[in-house]
Amino acid sequence: MKTRTKFVIGGAVILAVIVALSLQELQKMTVFFYTPAEVLASPAEFEDKTIRIGALVQQGSVDWNAQAIQLSFKITEDGEKSIPVYYEGVKPDLFREGQGVVVEGKMNGPRFEASQLLVKHSEEYTVETEHKKSKEEYYKSILAQ
Amino acid sequence: MFLEWGSILGLAGCGLWIFLKLPIETSQGFPQKIMYLHVPTFIATYLAFFVVFAFSIAYLWKRDLMFDQIAKVSAEVGLIFCALLLVTGAIWGRPTWGTYWVWDARLTTTLLLFLIFMGYFLLRMSVNDRDKEARLASVLGIIGCLDIPIIHKSVEWWRTLHQPSTLFKVESGKASPSISPELFTPLIASIIVMLLFYLYLLLLRYQTEKRREQLNQLLAETQV
Repeated sequence: MKTRTKFVIGGAVILAVIVALSLQELQKMTVFFYTPAEVLASPAEFEDKTIRIGALVQQGSVDWNAQAIQLSFKITEDGEKSIPVYYEGVKPDLFREGQGVVVEGKMNGPRFEASQLLVKHSEEYTVETEHKKSKEEYYKSILAQ
Repeated sequence: MFLEWGSILGLAGCGLWIFLKLPIETSQGFPQKIMYLHVPTFIATYLAFFVVFAFSIAYLWKRDLMFDQIAKVSAEVGLIFCALLLVTGAIWGRPTWGTYWVWDARLTTTLLLFLIFMGYFLLRMSVNDRDKEARLASVLGIIGCLDIPIIHKSVEWWRTLHQPSTLFKVESGKASPSISPELFTPLIASIIVMLLFYLYLLLLRYQTEKRREQLNQLLAETQV
Protein backbone atom coordinates (compact mmCIF):
# COMPACT_ATOMS: atom_id res chain seq x y z
CA MET A 1 0.00 0.00 0.00
CA LYS A 2 1.29 3.44 -0.89
CA THR A 3 2.02 5.92 1.90
CA ARG A 4 -0.40 8.36 0.31
CA THR A 5 -3.28 5.87 0.47
CA LYS A 6 -2.48 5.15 4.12
CA PHE A 7 -2.62 8.89 4.85
CA VAL A 8 -5.97 9.23 3.09
CA ILE A 9 -7.50 6.26 4.98
CA GLY A 10 -6.05 7.41 8.31
CA GLY A 11 -7.24 10.95 7.71
CA ALA A 12 -10.74 9.78 6.77
CA VAL A 13 -11.00 7.68 9.97
CA ILE A 14 -9.86 10.57 12.17
CA LEU A 15 -12.25 12.95 10.41
CA ALA A 16 -15.16 10.53 10.83
CA VAL A 17 -14.48 10.19 14.57
CA ILE A 18 -14.25 13.97 15.00
CA VAL A 19 -17.50 14.52 13.10
CA ALA A 20 -19.31 11.79 15.08
CA LEU A 21 -18.12 13.16 18.43
CA SER A 22 -18.92 16.76 17.61
CA LEU A 23 -22.38 15.84 16.33
CA GLN A 24 -23.04 14.05 19.60
CA GLU A 25 -21.86 17.06 21.63
CA LEU A 26 -23.75 19.45 19.38
CA GLN A 27 -26.96 17.56 20.05
CA LYS A 28 -26.53 18.24 23.77
CA MET A 29 -25.34 21.82 23.34
CA THR A 30 -28.13 22.88 21.06
CA VAL A 31 -30.70 22.15 23.77
CA PHE A 32 -30.20 25.57 25.31
CA PHE A 33 -33.11 25.00 27.68
CA TYR A 34 -35.62 22.31 28.63
CA THR A 35 -39.37 22.85 28.82
CA PRO A 36 -41.31 22.47 32.09
CA ALA A 37 -43.07 19.41 30.66
CA GLU A 38 -39.72 17.69 29.96
CA VAL A 39 -38.47 18.41 33.48
CA LEU A 40 -41.71 17.31 35.16
CA ALA A 41 -41.85 14.12 33.08
CA SER A 42 -38.57 12.77 34.45
CA PRO A 43 -37.64 14.50 37.73
CA ALA A 44 -34.98 11.92 38.63
CA GLU A 45 -32.94 12.78 35.55
CA PHE A 46 -32.70 16.47 36.45
CA GLU A 47 -32.10 16.08 40.21
CA ASP A 48 -29.00 17.97 41.44
CA LYS A 49 -28.06 19.03 37.94
CA THR A 50 -27.64 22.64 36.84
CA ILE A 51 -30.12 23.09 34.00
CA ARG A 52 -31.96 25.81 32.13
CA ILE A 53 -35.73 25.85 31.76
CA GLY A 54 -37.47 28.06 29.24
CA ALA A 55 -41.16 28.96 29.53
CA LEU A 56 -43.63 31.79 30.11
CA VAL A 57 -44.23 33.54 33.42
CA GLN A 58 -47.65 32.39 34.62
CA GLN A 59 -50.33 35.07 34.98
CA GLY A 60 -50.88 36.13 38.59
CA SER A 61 -47.99 34.10 40.01
CA VAL A 62 -45.38 36.82 40.48
CA ASP A 63 -44.37 37.72 44.04
CA TRP A 64 -41.63 40.38 44.10
CA ASN A 65 -40.14 41.46 47.39
CA ALA A 66 -38.20 44.62 46.56
CA GLN A 67 -36.79 45.00 50.10
CA ALA A 68 -35.25 41.53 50.26
CA ILE A 69 -34.66 41.36 46.46
CA GLN A 70 -36.49 38.02 46.29
CA LEU A 71 -38.58 36.98 43.37
CA SER A 72 -40.93 34.00 43.21
CA PHE A 73 -43.08 33.09 40.27
CA LYS A 74 -44.34 30.10 38.32
CA ILE A 75 -43.31 29.16 34.80
CA THR A 76 -45.53 27.30 32.40
CA GLU A 77 -45.94 26.53 28.73
CA ASP A 78 -49.63 25.79 28.52
CA GLY A 79 -51.00 27.27 31.76
CA GLU A 80 -51.65 23.77 33.13
CA LYS A 81 -48.32 22.27 34.19
CA SER A 82 -46.13 24.76 36.00
CA ILE A 83 -42.94 24.86 38.05
CA PRO A 84 -42.49 27.32 40.95
CA VAL A 85 -39.26 29.32 40.65
CA TYR A 86 -37.37 31.16 43.35
CA TYR A 87 -34.76 33.76 42.42
CA GLU A 88 -32.67 36.08 44.56
CA GLY A 89 -31.55 39.09 42.61
CA VAL A 90 -32.65 42.14 40.70
CA LYS A 91 -35.80 41.79 38.63
CA PRO A 92 -34.99 42.37 34.92
CA ASP A 93 -36.67 45.38 33.27
CA LEU A 94 -38.61 43.28 30.80
CA PHE A 95 -39.79 40.75 33.40
CA ARG A 96 -43.58 40.64 33.52
CA GLU A 97 -46.45 38.17 33.54
CA GLY A 98 -46.80 36.27 30.28
CA GLN A 99 -43.20 37.08 29.28
CA GLY A 100 -40.87 34.34 28.03
CA VAL A 101 -38.02 33.60 30.44
CA VAL A 102 -35.08 31.22 30.68
CA VAL A 103 -34.01 30.33 34.22
CA GLU A 104 -30.75 28.60 35.11
CA GLY A 105 -30.37 26.71 38.36
CA LYS A 106 -31.30 23.48 40.15
CA MET A 107 -34.47 21.70 41.14
CA ASN A 108 -34.83 21.59 44.93
CA GLY A 109 -37.76 19.30 45.62
CA PRO A 110 -40.70 20.65 43.63
CA ARG A 111 -39.19 24.17 43.51
CA PHE A 112 -36.62 25.44 41.01
CA GLU A 113 -33.93 27.62 42.57
CA ALA A 114 -32.59 29.91 39.89
CA SER A 115 -29.15 31.45 39.95
CA GLN A 116 -29.74 33.33 36.71
CA LEU A 117 -32.90 34.80 35.24
CA LEU A 118 -32.90 35.70 31.54
CA VAL A 119 -35.73 37.25 29.55
CA LYS A 120 -36.53 35.71 26.18
CA HIS A 121 -38.33 38.52 24.38
CA SER A 122 -40.40 38.07 21.25
CA GLU A 123 -39.55 39.13 17.71
CA GLU A 124 -42.53 41.49 17.57
CA TYR A 125 -42.07 45.24 17.74
CA THR A 126 -45.07 47.48 18.21
CA VAL A 127 -45.91 51.05 19.04
CA GLU A 128 -48.85 52.04 21.17
CA THR A 129 -50.60 55.33 20.55
CA GLU A 130 -50.16 56.32 24.19
CA HIS A 131 -46.45 55.72 23.90
CA LYS A 132 -46.21 58.08 20.96
CA LYS A 133 -47.73 60.90 22.98
CA SER A 134 -45.61 60.25 26.02
CA LYS A 135 -42.28 60.16 24.23
CA GLU A 136 -41.12 63.45 25.80
CA GLU A 137 -42.12 62.19 29.24
CA TYR A 138 -40.29 58.95 28.56
CA TYR A 139 -37.03 60.79 27.84
CA LYS A 140 -37.59 62.97 30.92
CA SER A 141 -38.10 59.90 33.10
CA ILE A 142 -34.81 58.43 31.83
CA LEU A 143 -32.95 61.66 32.57
CA ALA A 144 -34.52 61.84 36.02
CA GLN A 145 -33.26 58.38 36.98
CA MET B 1 -17.12 60.07 -3.56
CA PHE B 2 -20.91 59.66 -3.66
CA LEU B 3 -20.64 56.44 -1.69
CA GLU B 4 -18.36 58.01 0.90
CA TRP B 5 -20.50 61.05 1.71
CA GLY B 6 -23.78 59.35 0.90
CA SER B 7 -23.22 56.55 3.39
CA ILE B 8 -21.68 58.72 6.13
CA LEU B 9 -24.38 61.40 5.92
CA GLY B 10 -26.99 58.65 5.58
CA LEU B 11 -25.81 56.97 8.77
CA ALA B 12 -25.85 60.30 10.61
CA GLY B 13 -29.30 61.10 9.21
CA CYS B 14 -30.68 57.72 10.26
CA GLY B 15 -29.24 58.28 13.73
CA LEU B 16 -31.02 61.61 14.09
CA TRP B 17 -34.24 60.15 12.70
CA ILE B 18 -34.13 57.21 15.10
CA PHE B 19 -33.38 59.18 18.25
CA LEU B 20 -35.44 62.31 17.62
CA LYS B 21 -38.44 61.23 15.59
CA LEU B 22 -39.25 57.59 16.29
CA PRO B 23 -41.80 56.55 18.90
CA ILE B 24 -40.70 54.33 21.79
CA GLU B 25 -41.29 50.62 21.24
CA THR B 26 -43.95 49.16 23.56
CA SER B 27 -42.38 46.14 25.22
CA GLN B 28 -38.66 46.96 25.25
CA GLY B 29 -38.69 50.74 25.41
CA PHE B 30 -35.49 52.64 24.66
CA PRO B 31 -33.09 49.66 24.16
CA GLN B 32 -35.01 48.65 21.01
CA LYS B 33 -33.21 51.50 19.17
CA ILE B 34 -30.01 49.49 18.92
CA MET B 35 -31.91 47.33 16.46
CA TYR B 36 -31.18 50.04 13.86
CA LEU B 37 -27.49 49.20 14.13
CA HIS B 38 -27.73 45.50 14.88
CA VAL B 39 -30.01 44.48 11.99
CA PRO B 40 -28.23 46.50 9.23
CA THR B 41 -24.91 45.13 10.53
CA PHE B 42 -26.04 41.53 10.20
CA ILE B 43 -27.34 42.14 6.68
CA ALA B 44 -24.00 43.76 5.75
CA THR B 45 -22.20 40.76 7.30
CA TYR B 46 -24.32 38.35 5.24
CA LEU B 47 -23.64 40.32 2.05
CA ALA B 48 -19.90 40.64 2.74
CA PHE B 49 -19.51 36.89 3.20
CA PHE B 50 -21.75 36.13 0.25
CA VAL B 51 -19.31 38.20 -1.85
CA VAL B 52 -16.43 36.18 -0.33
CA PHE B 53 -18.25 32.96 -1.26
CA ALA B 54 -19.02 34.04 -4.84
CA PHE B 55 -15.55 35.44 -5.60
CA SER B 56 -13.77 32.47 -4.00
CA ILE B 57 -15.64 30.18 -6.37
CA ALA B 58 -14.89 32.57 -9.25
CA TYR B 59 -11.18 32.46 -8.38
CA LEU B 60 -11.03 28.66 -8.24
CA TRP B 61 -12.81 28.53 -11.58
CA LYS B 62 -10.99 31.28 -13.53
CA ARG B 63 -7.73 31.51 -11.52
CA ASP B 64 -7.76 35.30 -11.84
CA LEU B 65 -6.05 36.96 -8.85
CA MET B 66 -8.41 39.93 -9.12
CA PHE B 67 -11.26 37.70 -7.89
CA ASP B 68 -9.18 36.58 -4.94
CA GLN B 69 -8.38 40.18 -4.12
CA ILE B 70 -12.10 41.05 -4.01
CA ALA B 71 -12.83 38.00 -1.80
CA LYS B 72 -10.01 39.06 0.53
CA VAL B 73 -11.09 42.68 0.99
CA SER B 74 -14.74 41.66 1.38
CA ALA B 75 -13.71 39.21 4.11
CA GLU B 76 -11.82 42.02 5.85
CA VAL B 77 -14.84 44.32 5.80
CA GLY B 78 -17.11 41.40 6.72
CA LEU B 79 -14.97 40.61 9.74
CA ILE B 80 -15.36 44.20 10.98
CA PHE B 81 -19.14 44.02 10.49
CA CYS B 82 -19.22 40.64 12.25
CA ALA B 83 -17.36 42.14 15.23
CA LEU B 84 -19.83 45.06 15.26
CA LEU B 85 -22.66 42.56 15.09
CA LEU B 86 -21.39 40.71 18.18
CA VAL B 87 -20.78 43.96 20.07
CA THR B 88 -24.16 45.56 19.26
CA GLY B 89 -25.83 42.25 20.12
CA ALA B 90 -24.11 42.18 23.51
CA ILE B 91 -25.11 45.81 24.20
CA TRP B 92 -28.71 45.01 23.25
CA GLY B 93 -28.71 41.77 25.24
CA ARG B 94 -27.73 43.34 28.57
CA PRO B 95 -30.87 45.48 29.12
CA THR B 96 -33.32 43.10 27.42
CA TRP B 97 -32.17 39.53 28.14
CA GLY B 98 -30.22 40.41 31.26
CA THR B 99 -26.87 39.18 29.94
CA TYR B 100 -24.20 40.24 27.46
CA TRP B 101 -23.57 36.73 26.25
CA VAL B 102 -25.01 33.21 26.33
CA TRP B 103 -23.78 30.12 24.52
CA ASP B 104 -26.95 29.54 22.55
CA ALA B 105 -26.88 28.32 18.95
CA ARG B 106 -27.34 31.75 17.31
CA LEU B 107 -24.58 33.48 19.26
CA THR B 108 -22.19 30.54 19.14
CA THR B 109 -22.48 30.07 15.36
CA THR B 110 -21.96 33.82 14.86
CA LEU B 111 -18.82 33.74 16.99
CA LEU B 112 -17.72 30.72 14.96
CA LEU B 113 -17.99 32.78 11.75
CA PHE B 114 -15.79 35.45 13.32
CA LEU B 115 -13.19 32.87 14.40
CA ILE B 116 -13.18 31.09 11.02
CA PHE B 117 -12.34 34.35 9.27
CA MET B 118 -9.70 35.24 11.85
CA GLY B 119 -8.15 31.89 10.86
CA TYR B 120 -8.65 32.83 7.19
CA PHE B 121 -6.32 35.82 7.57
CA LEU B 122 -3.80 33.82 9.59
CA LEU B 123 -3.75 31.31 6.74
CA ARG B 124 -3.21 34.10 4.20
CA MET B 125 -0.35 35.54 6.24
CA SER B 126 1.35 32.18 6.66
CA VAL B 127 1.64 31.42 2.92
CA ASN B 128 4.28 33.25 0.89
CA ASP B 129 3.37 32.05 -2.60
CA ARG B 130 0.61 34.39 -3.90
CA ASP B 131 -1.15 31.73 -6.03
CA LYS B 132 -1.04 29.13 -3.29
CA GLU B 133 -2.36 31.69 -0.80
CA ALA B 134 -5.29 32.48 -3.11
CA ARG B 135 -6.07 28.79 -3.67
CA LEU B 136 -6.05 27.80 0.02
CA ALA B 137 -7.90 30.94 1.11
CA SER B 138 -10.63 30.37 -1.50
CA VAL B 139 -11.28 26.87 -0.20
CA LEU B 140 -11.42 28.05 3.43
CA GLY B 141 -13.54 31.04 2.37
CA ILE B 142 -16.12 28.81 0.70
CA ILE B 143 -16.29 26.43 3.68
CA GLY B 144 -16.44 29.33 6.16
CA CYS B 145 -19.36 30.97 4.36
CA LEU B 146 -21.43 27.80 4.76
CA ASP B 147 -21.83 28.99 8.37
CA ILE B 148 -24.07 31.86 7.16
CA PRO B 149 -27.17 29.72 6.39
CA ILE B 150 -26.56 27.85 9.67
CA ILE B 151 -26.52 31.16 11.58
CA HIS B 152 -29.64 32.30 9.78
CA LYS B 153 -31.59 29.09 10.46
CA SER B 154 -30.20 28.45 13.98
CA VAL B 155 -33.15 30.17 15.66
CA GLU B 156 -35.56 27.82 13.86
CA TRP B 157 -33.58 24.59 14.12
CA TRP B 158 -32.65 24.80 17.79
CA ARG B 159 -33.96 26.24 21.04
CA THR B 160 -32.20 29.54 21.54
CA LEU B 161 -32.41 32.59 23.77
CA HIS B 162 -32.23 34.75 20.66
CA GLN B 163 -35.66 35.50 19.22
CA PRO B 164 -36.60 34.33 15.70
CA SER B 165 -36.23 36.63 12.71
CA THR B 166 -38.44 39.73 12.61
CA LEU B 167 -37.49 40.93 9.15
CA PHE B 168 -37.63 37.61 7.30
CA LYS B 169 -40.66 36.29 9.13
CA VAL B 170 -42.93 34.20 6.95
CA GLU B 171 -46.52 33.51 7.89
CA SER B 172 -48.53 31.01 5.86
CA GLY B 173 -46.15 31.33 2.91
CA LYS B 174 -46.17 35.14 2.90
CA ALA B 175 -43.44 37.48 4.05
CA SER B 176 -44.77 39.42 7.03
CA PRO B 177 -42.20 41.28 9.11
CA SER B 178 -43.52 41.55 12.66
CA ILE B 179 -42.75 45.21 13.24
CA SER B 180 -45.07 48.19 13.10
CA PRO B 181 -44.69 50.46 10.04
CA GLU B 182 -43.38 53.49 12.00
CA LEU B 183 -40.45 51.38 13.18
CA PHE B 184 -40.07 49.44 9.92
CA THR B 185 -39.42 52.29 7.44
CA PRO B 186 -36.34 53.66 9.24
CA LEU B 187 -35.06 50.09 9.60
CA ILE B 188 -35.14 49.65 5.81
CA ALA B 189 -33.46 53.05 5.38
CA SER B 190 -30.72 52.06 7.87
CA ILE B 191 -30.16 48.79 6.02
CA ILE B 192 -29.77 50.54 2.65
CA VAL B 193 -27.38 53.10 4.12
CA MET B 194 -25.34 50.37 5.85
CA LEU B 195 -25.05 48.43 2.60
CA LEU B 196 -23.80 51.60 0.85
CA PHE B 197 -21.26 51.95 3.65
CA TYR B 198 -20.16 48.35 3.09
CA LEU B 199 -19.75 49.06 -0.63
CA TYR B 200 -17.73 52.19 0.14
CA LEU B 201 -15.39 50.29 2.48
CA LEU B 202 -15.05 47.43 -0.02
CA LEU B 203 -14.05 49.71 -2.91
CA LEU B 204 -11.73 51.74 -0.68
CA ARG B 205 -9.89 48.61 0.46
CA TYR B 206 -9.77 47.22 -3.08
CA GLN B 207 -8.20 50.44 -4.42
CA THR B 208 -5.62 50.68 -1.64
CA GLU B 209 -4.64 47.04 -2.20
CA LYS B 210 -4.29 47.67 -5.94
CA ARG B 211 -2.13 50.73 -5.35
CA ARG B 212 0.02 48.83 -2.88
CA GLU B 213 0.67 46.20 -5.50
CA GLN B 214 1.57 48.86 -8.06
CA LEU B 215 3.92 50.46 -5.56
CA ASN B 216 5.59 47.13 -4.80
CA GLN B 217 6.03 46.56 -8.52
CA LEU B 218 7.63 49.97 -9.00
CA LEU B 219 9.94 49.38 -6.04
CA ALA B 220 10.97 46.01 -7.43
CA GLU B 221 11.75 47.62 -10.81
CA THR B 222 13.90 50.39 -9.33
CA GLN B 223 15.89 47.86 -7.30
CA VAL B 224 16.73 45.92 -10.46
